[in-house]
Amino acid sequence: MSGDLPLVRQLSNGLVLHALEARHAPVVSLWVWYHVGGRNEVPGTTGMSHFLEHMLFKGTPGHPKGDLDRLLARYGASWNAFTNADVTCYFETVPADRYATALGLEADRMRNALIALEEVEAERTVIVSEREGYENDPSFLLGEEVQAVAFSRHTYGQGVIGSKEEIKLMTRDGLYEHYARFYSPSNAYVVIVGDGEAEALLDEAATAFEDVSGDPPPPVPKAPEPPQMGEKRVVVRRAGGALPMVQLAFRSPRATDPLAAALSGLTVVLSGGGGAGDGASGRSSRLYRALIDAGLATEIEASFQLMKDPYLFWVEASLRPGVPHVDVERIILTELARLAAEPLDQSELTRVRRQMLAGMAYPTDTITGRAYQLGQLLSSGAARSIGEWYDRLSALTADDLREAAAATFAERSRTAGWFVPDDHVASRPGTDTRRAAPGDTR
Amino acid sequence: MIRRTRTQVGRLQVAVAEIPGLRSVASLLALDAGQLAEPRGRSGVARLTAQTLLRGTETRSAQEWSEGLDAIGASSRLDVGGQAALFSGQCLTGDLRAYLRLVAEAVLHPALAAAELEFVRQQALAQIEEDKKDTRAVAEKTWRELAYPPGHPFHTRAVGDEAVVRSTTTEELRRFHSDHVVGGGAVLVIAGGAGAATAIDAVNEAFAEWPAGRARPAAAALPSVLSATVRRDVVVPDKTQCDVVLGWHGLPRNDPRYVAARVTNMVFAADTFASRAGNVVRDQLGLAYYVFSTLGSTRVASPWLVRMGVNPENVTRAVGTTFDELRRMHEGDIAEDDLALAKDKLVGELDVALESPGGVAQLVLEAELFDLGDDHFERYPRELRAVTKDQVVETTRSFLPLDRYALAVAGPPLPA
Repeated sequence: MSGDLPLVRQLSNGLVLHALEARHAPVVSLWVWYHVGGRNEVPGTTGMSHFLEHMLFKGTPGHPKGDLDRLLARYGASWNAFTNADVTCYFETVPADRYATALGLEADRMRNALIALEEVEAERTVIVSEREGYENDPSFLLGEEVQAVAFSRHTYGQGVIGSKEEIKLMTRDGLYEHYARFYSPSNAYVVIVGDGEAEALLDEAATAFEDVSGDPPPPVPKAPEPPQMGEKRVVVRRAGGALPMVQLAFRSPRATDPLAAALSGLTVVLSGGGGAGDGASGRSSRLYRALIDAGLATEIEASFQLMKDPYLFWVEASLRPGVPHVDVERIILTELARLAAEPLDQSELTRVRRQMLAGMAYPTDTITGRAYQLGQLLSSGAARSIGEWYDRLSALTADDLREAAAATFAERSRTAGWFVPDDHVASRPGTDTRRAAPGDTR
Repeated sequence: MIRRTRTQVGRLQVAVAEIPGLRSVASLLALDAGQLAEPRGRSGVARLTAQTLLRGTETRSAQEWSEGLDAIGASSRLDVGGQAALFSGQCLTGDLRAYLRLVAEAVLHPALAAAELEFVRQQALAQIEEDKKDTRAVAEKTWRELAYPPGHPFHTRAVGDEAVVRSTTTEELRRFHSDHVVGGGAVLVIAGGAGAATAIDAVNEAFAEWPAGRARPAAAALPSVLSATVRRDVVVPDKTQCDVVLGWHGLPRNDPRYVAARVTNMVFAADTFASRAGNVVRDQLGLAYYVFSTLGSTRVASPWLVRMGVNPENVTRAVGTTFDELRRMHEGDIAEDDLALAKDKLVGELDVALESPGGVAQLVLEAELFDLGDDHFERYPRELRAVTKDQVVETTRSFLPLDRYALAVAGPPLPA
């Protein structure tokens, strides 16, 4: 897949534009990425980037509240936004003849969002409601605790959506200050994929964004996480879940680390890449065989995200009723140790490689998916193009996978979490937990 | 514009939509083996059968079959809905032949072995157990129990009734497989990078044994009416938010009023940001993170549902506000711009769907399943555009009555 480098242009205000042609449908997908997320927050303001993301749908002087949603709806667009620990992103996929309108909307809200006090108050309850929806999910509750325990210094431990108490304390002025600081052309980049020549797509985007002024990029937050010196454990007991759950989180390197591609590959070896359960695919994966085929679990998933700073390699299993946590944890650890000790044989490597590469092809066969994937790789610096990342995955050897497993799946760098369903716990709404879903979507 | 090439293999109806330049293909095989096909009182048999189809064939063990699927990197699953069991998947274009062979083997020659049924049964029981503490699942289960009488195919969720799941035998699976999976109607849609001739050749080879002749008709669903307002609140302990399901019985996809119903749904609540309910409940009042409605699409009337996630303190107001919007629609208070927006969105989405092989496959599948005609893709946008305000008001009054609905709330206790 080499040769799919996007056309890149930097504007005088610092904004970098990336464009790719995709001619199979008459649409354009526009994604604006800001280098701000959970990592840029301090205790007392957790959830601020995500809150701000909601406020960017609440109007500018040129486009009053509701304008953007109704305009894009009228075009049949798909549009949304999300915040994660590293970035905040806004996107719309529109019919190609509406591309200029989409550009106008994004250029406008880069600096002109109103963030009106009454809208902050109205949206606060929406965000609390979003958080309360997550709190109904045992996987979220446990993951939030595991993440908080896994980091002692780095802001990744705070999650993204923020604590309910801090969401309630967020002020309009604080949000506006955050906006003014981070929403600037020099702290953003734009990805465009669609039905047009890349040069022409860039020209239109340059026209839309070139007059947006801004400040120099803010300093990169620095709170390096010290090495972990031994296993950490956390148990969450709640009545609000029926099945027991085990999560293991291992300290893992940042996206630019040479091990990152191999860690992505290991998620495929362990769970088929996207997790396995009642779907037909992913059932040849090691954890499906060891846990689900063995009648111990209903779903398993291994995940590794490409992040700016060292983060976590996650393994999660939902257990069948009555199965002891300790049994499942032991089997997961045995499988991880086996990966660290023995290279995959040729047959498994061939299968895993095919799963990895096909798994990249499917989302990039949609224009929206291609734009997202390129933007995601750029956000962490993992690669300059989808092809570059694809080539790194293609080149992985059995030794690469084994070495990445040996470097990552160590006792001293893991945090183990158990969710224990407990029918005797009284209702206690609103516990203070702090991990958000990885892609926290508006 | 979508162009279809169609053929028939035995009773299997096939449509291919080529999208040049893509590396993959999406495949949708809809088998007339959904909840409507289940024997009366045997809810869960369709899903148990579907899941057991994925657990080995006459010639390959479950592990060998899944290794074959993963060896080509295919992404695939088999889900049971109201009308169909849908075998959906995506594979690289060059692997289409291999993928279809695997699907055909699972569907036409499954092992349906006792040990595999037992595995699937235990997984289903675990799912039922998990759903008891899941507010969304509890709300939907409760709504179905309120809206349909026992024995109706839609009285339970597809996962089934616990007693049925515990008691289903391999003989029952074999009968369901014979009568409905291969004995009923079936539609296969392929969309993506494969050329039509290549795809049809692969289909002919993989599904050559598909039976011919007339499909076994599914039994008619029990008649059901919502003759009053029914509501049930279910406390799910140790939760923070309530899930709310409000709904009616809907109308069949082939009802001549269905297109107007789609527009009505969009005006009312289909989209959290573009429809009236979402606009008021979320954007103006901040009562919920999500509010949306879905209109079922099957050959019989299937649920027309509004769902929302709301703090228990706000349930009464959020539901009341939704009804206020509905009442305005009953009274004809529908702004021209709201109607135009709904139609523009539904028409515009047809163009945007072309960006994805899965999106194209879904559009083609609907056209094939409901025999919407050769000119459907030219006609459908015009039909959407032609819907009038009077039709929307009439549809609202006919299908979304204010005094006959079912409402289920699941979550923490509601305030007194």
